[in-house]
Parts: sequence; C-alpha cells; structure tokens
Amino acid sequence: MNVTIVDYGAGNLGSVHQAFWTAGAEPETTSNPEKIASAERIVLPGVGAAGAALEQIRSRGLDKAMDAARHKGTPILGICLGLQMMAEEIDEYGIHRGLGWMKGKVSRIPETASVHVPHMGWTRIETTERAGGLIGASDRDRHFYFCHSNRLHLDEGVAAATVSHGETFTVAVRFGNVFAVQFHPEKSQLAGQKLIKQFLAWSPQGA
Amino acid sequence: MTTNRIIPSLLLRDKRLVKGVRFADYRDAGAPVTTCRAHSAQGADEISVVDIDASRLSREPDFETLQAVSRDVQVPLTFSGGIDGVSRARRAMEYGADKIGINSTALERPALIEELAHVFGAQAVVLGVDFVRRNGKILLYDHRSGKALETPGFAEWLRAATERGAGEIRLVAVDREGTREGLDTEAWQEARALTGVPIILEGGAGNLNQVAEAMKAGVDSVSLGTLLVFSDNNLLKVRRFLEGAGLPMRP
Repeated sequence: MNVTIVDYGAGNLGSVHQAFWTAGAEPETTSNPEKIASAERIVLPGVGAAGAALEQIRSRGLDKAMDAARHKGTPILGICLGLQMMAEEIDEYGIHRGLGWMKGKVSRIPETASVHVPHMGWTRIETTERAGGLIGASDRDRHFYFCHSNRLHLDEGVAAATVSHGETFTVAVRFGNVFAVQFHPEKSQLAGQKLIKQFLAWSPQGA
Repeated sequence: MTTNRIIPSLLLRDKRLVKGVRFADYRDAGAPVTTCRAHSAQGADEISVVDIDASRLSREPDFETLQAVSRDVQVPLTFSGGIDGVSRARRAMEYGADKIGINSTALERPALIEELAHVFGAQAVVLGVDFVRRNGKILLYDHRSGKALETPGFAEWLRAATERGAGEIRLVAVDREGTREGLDTEAWQEARALTGVPIILEGGAGNLNQVAEAMKAGVDSVSLGTLLVFSDNNLLKVRRFLEGAGLPMRP
C-alpha cells in the first residue's frame, strides 16, 4: 500500500513516515502536487502553526491537489494540525482561512487553574458510531497522545470522537473519504499502530 | 482525563548515553538505540534526548543519532541541544523529533522561542529550565559557564518564555541531578503558579516512593534519569508501582 505524506515545511514528518512504514505501508513524503493528486492514500500530518502551514500549502498548490484527490475518493487521514486545517477558520496567531472541508472553527482551549494549555499527554477518548472500524474498542486502544493548544468547534455532525480537557471537544471526524484526528496516532504506540492499520484497510465507499 | 507522564531523560555525548551527578562526572549509560527501543516498548509516555555538548561546543546537534533512535520509538520524542533556529529545528523534525527542546540558545536569544512557535506551534516548543537554589531562592543556571545567573530571574524567565510561545517547561534541579535525594516538588509548585503550560520535573528521583510522593503532591509529569539507568528499575516496573499507588497512568 502506497501512502503519500504531504510535506508543507513543518510537521513531524520523520515520525509519521516511520509509523506508516512500521504498519506495513510504503510511505512517500512529498510536496509535489501531482503525486498528491494521484496518490493511493494521503496523510496530512500535524505539528505546525496554522498560518505558516496554510500559506505553504497554498503557495505550493497542495490545497488544489488534495481537493482533486478528495473529490475522486482517495482516503485521506488528517493528524493534529492536519485536522484543524480542514475547518473553515483557525484562530492561532491571528485568524486564518482553513481548507473548508468541514463546517467548523478552531480556537484556543480555555485555560483555567487546573486545565493547562497546551493539552499534552495521553488522554482517553470517547467515540461515536462514526469511529466504527477505525478506532479500537478496548481501554488501551482509546488512550492517545495529544499535543495541541487549539480545538475544533464543529457546526455539522461529523464527530467520530471527543475528549474531555476542561470542556469536552471533538478530536476525530469522519466525512466521505476523510478521517482526521486531533491526537497523534504516529506516536501513540500500540493504539496508534492499530489506528494506522485500520486506516490503511479502510474503504470509504462502504462507509 | 490526561494521565500522568513518566519521561526517560537520556543524555547524549559522543554517540553514547551518559549520566552524571549535578551536570558533571559523566559515566557511560549505554547505547542510544537499544535504550530508546526498550523505553518505547515498555511504555514510556515520552522520551527526551539531549545532546549535552552541542550548545557548549557551538556545534551542530547529533542528528545522526537522533535519526537512528527515532526509528524504534513509537512514543513522542523531544530532541534538545544546539537548536538555535528554525532550520536546525526543521532538520530535527525530519530526523524523527516530535518536539524541539531549547535551553541556553533561548536564554541567549529569547526571540528564538517565538520563531519556533510560529513555525511549529507552541505545543512543539519545550523550554528547558535548569535551576539551582541559593539560600533557598531559585536561580537559573547556565550549563555552559557552570554558573547561577542573577538575571533573568526564575519567575521573570518563566513568564516571558510562556508569553513568547514556549508550550512546555522542562524544569531541571541541577543541585539534585543524579543525587537520588528526591524531587524538588516545591520548585514545580512555584513554577506552576507562574505559567499555564505543562511542566515536567526532573532531577533527584532515586527511588519509586519519591516519584509517587511528588505525583501525589500534584507533579503530573516526571522525567527520570538515574533511576532508570543505574538501578534494576524499568518502565514496566515504574508504571506498575505508580498505578498501584493510585496514580493515573495510561493502560
């Protein structure tokens, strides 16, 4: 299975590449729009500031390439910032226009004396029926590594999982051939490997 | 809820791991690749690798060893040492780091924190804060000169660094490092009142009771060096012990 990892000049590309290779895929990291448009499966990784990342994606024509892939049914996995960029708007060091693949906005997690931001570490998620076939059911399968300051507010019913960190917010979405998660499967040990394998086996047509 | 974190702290020198006492008298502590592989497989919540000579010798960080260890690490990896700008940080990310640790390079040029946060996001920028106590008062410590600093003050630096975009603080008690005297829980509490970002405490853990005590006092993230290196403890044992003490650890 060939997997194309989108390189937009930030992101923990080494880790994502390694995790897909470990899961048995043939990953390729690229910023070439043609390769992305014709990919078998696409991963849009995270770790970056939204403004800089979106600027890079647009200036390299990767937004159009991913759109082309999305419309012809290529399975796409978004990770962390990869999920956030799919929203309409992201508020991080200023307001940025997102890719607009789903209805929703991204803004900072409210900080309190006991709720620290960034949300950092391993947290148990709660899934919805949309997680079926993509996220395992056991307690261990549901603890994932998080590392983020902003969270998604959805304006449509595509949530696949939520987490509680002060408030409860969406940490996974699934719509059409797109699956995206706020946490880091590439760094979530066994639970993460399981999710990656399930993404590799996922056929959205049947979903 | 987010579970507590145990983070092995691995110090890199000349392609080997080393461990010392109070930032001196380093002894060999094993091979980086096999050690990282074991910690990852045994359920470390994260791993921290520090190239301890890069900044002091003004040389490039050991990216080669980073790349070699990251292949077998399936948990988050923070790489520190000699990261002085976006280009070295980007290389570290390409070679398998998930977060970037900075320390003396940020003290020298605080704008570095902002530069990294604006490219990689604050959540990927871990500020190392080495400190000593003088008459009970916490002072920052510069590992390059081996001296305590009069300025900036501890509180001033933590506030300013958080403001600039440090997403996490790795607080290291230099006086206790490698001594097994126990963790400086009070320093963590003092830092906790100064910043809203997660704080990792390191330095002085010599047995598991000390770690459990610190966690019961609220320290949710602890970095371990000596305890994992020069004893018969491993992470399976550490995690089981803390879980048995009623602390929230991941399954």
